[in-house]
Amino acid sequence: MKAILVIAINFVREQRWPVLVMLLWVLLLAFLGLTTEAARSKRPTPIKEQGEDLLFVFKQVAVYVVAFSVFFGSSAIFNDRRSRRILSVLSKAIGRQDYLSGLVLGITLASAIYCIALGVTGSWTLGEVGFPVRQVWFLMVCLLAACMLAGTVALMFSTFLNPFFAAGATAATMGLPFLLSHTSGNAMWTLVIPVNALAAAVLKSSFEAPATGSWMAIFLALAETVVFWFLAAKIFSYMDIAVSVE
Amino acid sequence: MKLALEFDHVSKEYRSLFGRRFRALDGFSLQVYPTEIFGFLGPNGAGKTTAIHLAMGFMRPTSGSGRLLGEPFGHAITRRRVGFLPENLGLYPRPAEQLVRFYGALNGMKASDLKPRAGEVLEMVGLEDHARRNVSRFSRGMLQRVGLAQALVNDPELLILDEPTSALDPVARVGVRELLMRARTQGKTIFLSSHLLSEIELLCDRVAVLHRGRLVRLGRTDELLESYERTEIAARGIKANGIAKAIAPERSSWNFDPDGMLRIAVPRDQQRATISRIWEAGGEVVSVVPQRRSLEEIFLEVTSGADSAAAGGVQ
Repeated sequence: MKAILVIAINFVREQRWPVLVMLLWVLLLAFLGLTTEAARSKRPTPIKEQGEDLLFVFKQVAVYVVAFSVFFGSSAIFNDRRSRRILSVLSKAIGRQDYLSGLVLGITLASAIYCIALGVTGSWTLGEVGFPVRQVWFLMVCLLAACMLAGTVALMFSTFLNPFFAAGATAATMGLPFLLSHTSGNAMWTLVIPVNALAAAVLKSSFEAPATGSWMAIFLALAETVVFWFLAAKIFSYMDIAVSVE
Repeated sequence: MKLALEFDHVSKEYRSLFGRRFRALDGFSLQVYPTEIFGFLGPNGAGKTTAIHLAMGFMRPTSGSGRLLGEPFGHAITRRRVGFLPENLGLYPRPAEQLVRFYGALNGMKASDLKPRAGEVLEMVGLEDHARRNVSRFSRGMLQRVGLAQALVNDPELLILDEPTSALDPVARVGVRELLMRARTQGKTIFLSSHLLSEIELLCDRVAVLHRGRLVRLGRTDELLESYERTEIAARGIKANGIAKAIAPERSSWNFDPDGMLRIAVPRDQQRATISRIWEAGGEVVSVVPQRRSLEEIFLEVTSGADSAAAGGVQ
């Protein structure tokens, strides 16, 4: 367990620059949102209109993290193999499944940092215009569950594909249930791999219906994360990790 | 006796995307005993690194099996007792001490033990003054030494070192040699793959030579270095070059030491006749010893010989 945590923290540390840029982006937008709102409050703009603008920016910024988690997941193993750092890590008393668990936890931690920053700034900015703060945090939980699942799916594909194809395969896997639900008209398909359902919960939230997501989708995402982790561990256990990935 | 490392008819085949096959190891068997320093030799592409990676569980054999400290290859918990230095080392860019602590933590070491131990191993490899420097600014030799430090941090029973001194200057090389000697006296087993034959000659109790995935020579280093095909005879009392030439048989070489001692290296089947001729010429035989060769000579002989007799097994 300790080794998993060590790998996860190491992963976040290795990704500190992308994480920092994401954080700065969130803080910058929050600052711009607040200053714009302050300027507007001096004019007779209806408060609802101000809030809609802020919520629109918040939703756009929120879903970026899902793409980041796919990027983190699809490149993690490849980077370690290309730099040959994986050899010194896996020469220690850790199994490959522990290594993958560390990466899943690392991706989740990196996404959580973003989600917490977004939750704090969202509570601050959206709370000012009357959006329920509790619902901001519920949307962050939806987002984090989506990131965890998306990152794990990407990690699973990256055990045997290069990052580019792994990211493509992840996008296809996440998009397929969405497509099936549209063609069949059965909304239950979106729960198969509920990344889209969870991201949609964030995108569809409004002042009238702040929380459209469900705990069911969150729990399913967590359960499917375990399933994809298991698949990843099975595939990775057969891989020759010392073979060049170039 | 429980072996430190064992390969049992291990073969490893790589396949390209287009189905082409390359056999890196072919029915390779080897046993490494506890507390010995074992030298693993072979030209580039012989399969040394593949064998090491199989032992560490980085890949699976196509056929055959092996054991590391009594457990099958790939057993994670057993690696807690192993220190490994890969040939081309990749390290995370951070201060040396933090990096060594990171690797120790991966081996389940307690945080309270890690700090003093990291300092200790960095001192052992001569990097105590650079402990707080980021390894991304280190030279290749210094990186190699950090690699050794991370291999030693868990105080392993078995050290598997792939080219540990390849990037080191002569002074650092001597330091590593002393470190390995000390490790042996502490009861550790060392499996050393190297191209530096002089290092192997100085350090190793036994050596194995691998060529094209097959074991072509295995034995105690001192026995391998002694040639039973040629003998060196030292004789006193023979002064003239002419007489020496008359005594020395065909396929032999001779020379006089500065103190006048005649030394003749003769084929073994000529040994008795040569001694008789020395006596007849009024000389006195001082010593008759098997001629000592360098590991380089053996290496070249074995690898070139194996090319012409590819079917040869262990000699």
